[in-house]
Amino acid sequence: MVIKSSSPFGSGTRTRVLLSLSLLGESYARELARVLRAPLSGVQKALRSLELDGLVAGRPVGRTRVFQLDPRYFARDALKVFLQRLAEPETVLRSQVATLRRRPRRTGKPL
Amino acid sequence: MKLSGRSSLAAVAAAVAAGLREHGIQAVLTGGACASLYSAGAYHSRDLDFVVIGGVSQSRMDSAMAMAGFVRRGDRYVHPRARFYVEFPRGPLAIGGDHRVRPVVRITAYGRIRMLSATDSCRDRLAAFYHWGDRQSLSVAAWIASRHRVGMATLRRWSEAEGAADRFREFVMEKRQIRRRSRRRPRVP
Repeated sequence: MVIKSSSPFGSGTRTRVLLSLSLLGESYARELARVLRAPLSGVQKALRSLELDGLVAGRPVGRTRVFQLDPRYFARDALKVFLQRLAEPETVLRSQVATLRRRPRRTGKPL
Repeated sequence: MKLSGRSSLAAVAAAVAAGLREHGIQAVLTGGACASLYSAGAYHSRDLDFVVIGGVSQSRMDSAMAMAGFVRRGDRYVHPRARFYVEFPRGPLAIGGDHRVRPVVRITAYGRIRMLSATDSCRDRLAAFYHWGDRQSLSVAAWIASRHRVGMATLRRWSEAEGAADRFREFVMEKRQIRRRSRRRPRVP
């Protein structure tokens, strides 16, 4: 038997992309694919459909499209609360997200 | 109405609206096209976003759009000659967190268009400024508010609800500046 998390937003990838965006604030397809350990094409497809549904919005930053939960979505406050609740038991996802370094680093400073 | 490469945004919007009406599809023109109509050309948009009220099948939508000469290409409808394309973003009709939006019917030289009111078109642009920091949207919103009767009290209350009371003050200042500039402009004899 395969045990899966619930996916109230359609496919599992859609739900996990939304959860990741609610934890990260904003992200792009490649980073999300890395965090979720999912194929890039699947994440891109999920982002496209979520964008069509108005749940996420993307804007170009250089050559990358950066996505976030759409702040203009009419139910954005309720959505944020729901996603925060859904993310609570997702310990694996939260630890994967926690491995990402998001704080700034001075140019040229060695890693 | 036959559309051509020179058809204006209003002509295309009216033709699409007529096609949708003919097929019993209730739709409201929103977004940049709406702002463009209120700004009388001060702002240009090439895409027309109609939000459909209620559900509609793809085949019915295709035939409604075919009446205006549009064909579906992926997520949008394009016309062989007209410069504009049409999209149907998923509803509900809402501006920021407010879904109690009352569209208006505007009578143009080309026909009737169901669209956002000037106040709501202003809110729509302000939402982009508040949430994305898009200053072009601020200018367009201020332009609309300076040329049309808009509910400033409604805008203020909604801005506060969006958590943008400080940015609303910026909008009021921008609107004043536009008014001042237009008063200063010398009249052509």
